Amino acid sequence: MDPTSLSVFVSERLPELYVRTGEHLMLTGCSSGAAMLIGIPVGMVIFQKSWLRNPAMATIGILQTIPSLAMLAFLLALLHRIGAIPAIIALTLYALLPIVRNTLTGLEGVSPQIMEAARGIGMTSGQQLRMVRIPLALPVIVAGIRTAAVVVVGIATLSAFIGAGGLGQFINRGLALSNTRLILLGAIPAAILALLIDFVIGAFEWGLRQKKKPEGSGPFRGMIQFIARILPLLLIGGGIFVYLTGPEAHHGLTSNSSGTQRIIIGTKNFTEQLILGELMAQIIEQETTLSVERQFNLGGTMICHGALVSGAIDLYAEYTGTGLTAILKSPGINDSEQVMKHVRAAYGRRFHVRWLAPFGFNNTYAITVRKDDAAQHKWRAISDLAKEAPRLRAGFTAEFAERPDGYPGLGKAYGLKFLEIKDLDPAIMYSAIANKEIDVICAFATDGRIAAHHLTPLTDDRGFFPPYQAAPVVREECLNAHPEVTEALSLLSGALNNETMQRLNFEVDAKKRSPADVAREFLKEIGKRHPLAE
Amino acid sequence: MIRLRQVSKSFDNGRTYAVKELSIKIQPGETLVLLGSSGCGKTTTLKMINRLIEPTSGVIEVDGRDITHQDPVQLRRRIGYVFQGIGLFPHMTIEQNVDVVPRLLGWSPKRRKARALQLLHLVGLSPPDFGDRFPDELSGGQQQRVGVARALASDPDYLLMDEPFGALDALSRELLQQEMLSLKEQLKKTIVFVTHDIFEALLLGDRILILHQGNLEQIGTKKEILSAPATPFVRDLFAKPARQLAEFQGML
Repeated sequence: MDPTSLSVFVSERLPELYVRTGEHLMLTGCSSGAAMLIGIPVGMVIFQKSWLRNPAMATIGILQTIPSLAMLAFLLALLHRIGAIPAIIALTLYALLPIVRNTLTGLEGVSPQIMEAARGIGMTSGQQLRMVRIPLALPVIVAGIRTAAVVVVGIATLSAFIGAGGLGQFINRGLALSNTRLILLGAIPAAILALLIDFVIGAFEWGLRQKKKPEGSGPFRGMIQFIARILPLLLIGGGIFVYLTGPEAHHGLTSNSSGTQRIIIGTKNFTEQLILGELMAQIIEQETTLSVERQFNLGGTMICHGALVSGAIDLYAEYTGTGLTAILKSPGINDSEQVMKHVRAAYGRRFHVRWLAPFGFNNTYAITVRKDDAAQHKWRAISDLAKEAPRLRAGFTAEFAERPDGYPGLGKAYGLKFLEIKDLDPAIMYSAIANKEIDVICAFATDGRIAAHHLTPLTDDRGFFPPYQAAPVVREECLNAHPEVTEALSLLSGALNNETMQRLNFEVDAKKRSPADVAREFLKEIGKRHPLAE
Repeated sequence: MIRLRQVSKSFDNGRTYAVKELSIKIQPGETLVLLGSSGCGKTTTLKMINRLIEPTSGVIEVDGRDITHQDPVQLRRRIGYVFQGIGLFPHMTIEQNVDVVPRLLGWSPKRRKARALQLLHLVGLSPPDFGDRFPDELSGGQQQRVGVARALASDPDYLLMDEPFGALDALSRELLQQEMLSLKEQLKKTIVFVTHDIFEALLLGDRILILHQGNLEQIGTKKEILSAPATPFVRDLFAKPARQLAEFQGML
């Protein structure tokens, strides 16, 4: 990677880096603060009411074991909103355990002799707690806060999945686009932030422990101690400053209300979705007076759907087969007309969401193997795999591994039983099969990486996979308020066939171009072919 | 005056007694030493006087009033206590440790400061050198002086001392015992002093009370006890160190 392009890459993104860092500090600060406000009193209460101790610690421990994404999805469903609020709640829950545990340990750790002295000289139980037990437990409590804050900086990167922003935004985008530089642009500042917070609270702890020593105290010692004690305040002040001065005003804190002149577009977290999101955003910006807010890279189907139904986003691109099986939980249907008819009716009735005209391509799942393997074993269709399957290692996305229209159904339909199945991120899946770490993947038919990694999709000879036509799904409320959106999006109807979509995906995945640029170029192209209406 | 009437304490619902039917009268201004080996009930007796431990039966009176009818917090603030193993607050400076009870009593900062300085002088620690230090920067002997100063801070009429010099090396112990002796003459407090050290008991006690397995063996002045031991236990208790002392002198 040549240094000029790297410096251009970074300098171009500095303003956004500033915004994301501010958001990240805001998420970390709010959740650590909330966890302190809840955790320290809880620790004190369970210290005094020992019968509460085990149930409380078990509950908090269980919260800690819930996978972050599951927690975010759950909170989204519960609160009906995406953005900073559910993220802060989730992070607070994760920060709770170290704070409560350390508060309890700290209070318990005070020597019984000292407590007897406190009682014996005539302190009331409140005075014993306030004047002796808490001050002596304080270093342990602060250490718990330190652990919590550092953990939260790490987990906060995941809150980008529900549109809360933060440095995770870069990581997410980088993973979706398999762009290492983008991943590092999020990961390195996040790591630095974690170290910084660790250092600051560590210094604070040190400052608390330092005692005045009349002899041997250098002239600066008192000052260093003072600075160490106020460092956390400086960090919080700095965080608030960065957050408030960030060039983007809304920070994902706002939720949508109808009547605003703004359309919020969401996407799932992979390349094609980002391109479709950009295409829809740009065509709305071009054809209407509405402004568009991009809430891209949301965690997955369930999070996008939840955000749409709750009104946190107005539209995103969904696939008919996904809507049918994953959202509506209906059995697979093979006829694409039938599927569209079914999802249109059901979405309208159940979610007040309309499916607009499809883009034209069918991004079905494609069971895919390496080209040379296929040639060697003469594999053409999925049923050819059945005999070899027990020797093959499969890598599937978590979604595919679980969905009824994914591996569970596929395995039954074709009698496939693989040697092992790994849950992989889509970005990792392709390089893993190219590196021969796995042999079979569930690619997407329109994925540019199929060609880029010399892979061959096998035909679905038993017609297992339902059609996955991509189309915009939009809240009816939004369409009624802004009928021009339907009109604008109709310009994309039928504009993308499988080959075109593969090519656009390839531009982004393999050539590392930005989805926005690729979308802009494509819109120009079709604009030339069919001049857009004025 | 402190008075115990038929005081018993059992920690296991009456199967065994740490203290059994103890009745004593402690005269104002006297130093009563509770002497006995570990587990004899002397610390338990001491802690019952300021309600750190509640007796199983019997009545304890301080100033003529049953202490179960007194607020334990207020009671403890009127009784100075020097703890076994010192029990200074490690997060407070020496001065803060000394003025903690006046602070609880709501004295003005000026009065507290003056009192702390006075007490540090009294126990032989110069305030400018020690006032701002923390307990862990002091030697064991110095810490115990602070413990004594803390117990005296609110000028209580009574002082309970639980093996205050037990953890010190022989030299500092002797020094502190001597100072304690002059302090005692100076202050004229009623002192209950727990020890297992016979020489300490003989040195400091106006009267000595010998406890054995929760039972009172004998109470009296050292002269009375040495000249007329009431039980074989008391006789043996004093005979053994006397023999050791004789052997030691023989070696010199």
